Amino acid sequence: MKRADMLLIAVILIAALAFLVPRYLSGNEGKGGEGKELVANITVDGKHYRTIKLTKEEQTIDIRTERGYNILKVHDYGVEMYEADCPDQVCLGFGFITRPKQTIVCLPHRVLVEIASPAGEDEIDGFVQ
Amino acid sequence: MGLSNSESSQALKRTVIVAIFSAVAVVLGIVEAQIPLSAMGLMPGAKLGFANIMILTCIYFLRGRDAFMLVILKTLLTAFILGTFSSLLFSLFGSLLSFIVMFLLMKGGRMQLSLIGVSIAGSIAHNIGQLAAASMVMGTTSIMYYLPILLVTGIVTGVAVGYAVRYLVSSLSQISLFEEFLR
Repeated sequence: MKRADMLLIAVILIAALAFLVPRYLSGNEGKGGEGKELVANITVDGKHYRTIKLTKEEQTIDIRTERGYNILKVHDYGVEMYEADCPDQVCLGFGFITRPKQTIVCLPHRVLVEIASPAGEDEIDGFVQ
Repeated sequence: MGLSNSESSQALKRTVIVAIFSAVAVVLGIVEAQIPLSAMGLMPGAKLGFANIMILTCIYFLRGRDAFMLVILKTLLTAFILGTFSSLLFSLFGSLLSFIVMFLLMKGGRMQLSLIGVSIAGSIAHNIGQLAAASMVMGTTSIMYYLPILLVTGIVTGVAVGYAVRYLVSSLSQISLFEEFLR
């Protein structure tokens, strides 16, 4: 490796850290729990589909479009992709998400699930037509 | 055809090399798809980028348009075998951006960056290209949430691919087929 390679790696690492550190510091206070219920905005093909409350109780959400189906499961103030018939199954790999701004994406079906706080300005974007 | 004998033999060699490389790149892509990266707790959708080994090697030995042909061939074939139409769109976007960045760095910045640096830049460009395509399709920029993690994984896979290319280039240089493409 040459010096320029090291420089390139350093620049990229610093850029990545600059993005990551503020998120890490503000990480825990945004976490959902009893009392401050978060919501998840579901978007299909760029259009708002549904907004669901993230509750402790379990609930399943079916998203059926002409591209296929996705089944989401809400529990313990978070949400995860439970089942999908997309070819790559990447959306299942996102795991269980609980924090605002975290997303689950299913590209083949154009489905996007994003967590937001109910009073935050995040949500307004979803309703402006 | 107005080609002289040696010219047409060189053109044939180029075609053969592009064909062999795209075949190997497709096989590498299939092998890579068998490795469940997301099950290991990594970023879903992150890939090792083995096929980039062949593309970078091709840029090293041949002209830009040959490497461009390889990128198109490899992306189309891999998508036909493994993916769907939408995944073809995303990987084409990522591959083309990655190719452009690596090509420019090889031609212009060859003195500063080694093959490993070029490979890292290509891997990062691939990630950025795919995220950009995805956020255009989904109509949201919130996917950029994954950019920092992809930057870090891009460095790791870029270094691995870069070392592989270095060994491959030094081995291929000893084969007579590649002799006249050496510089």
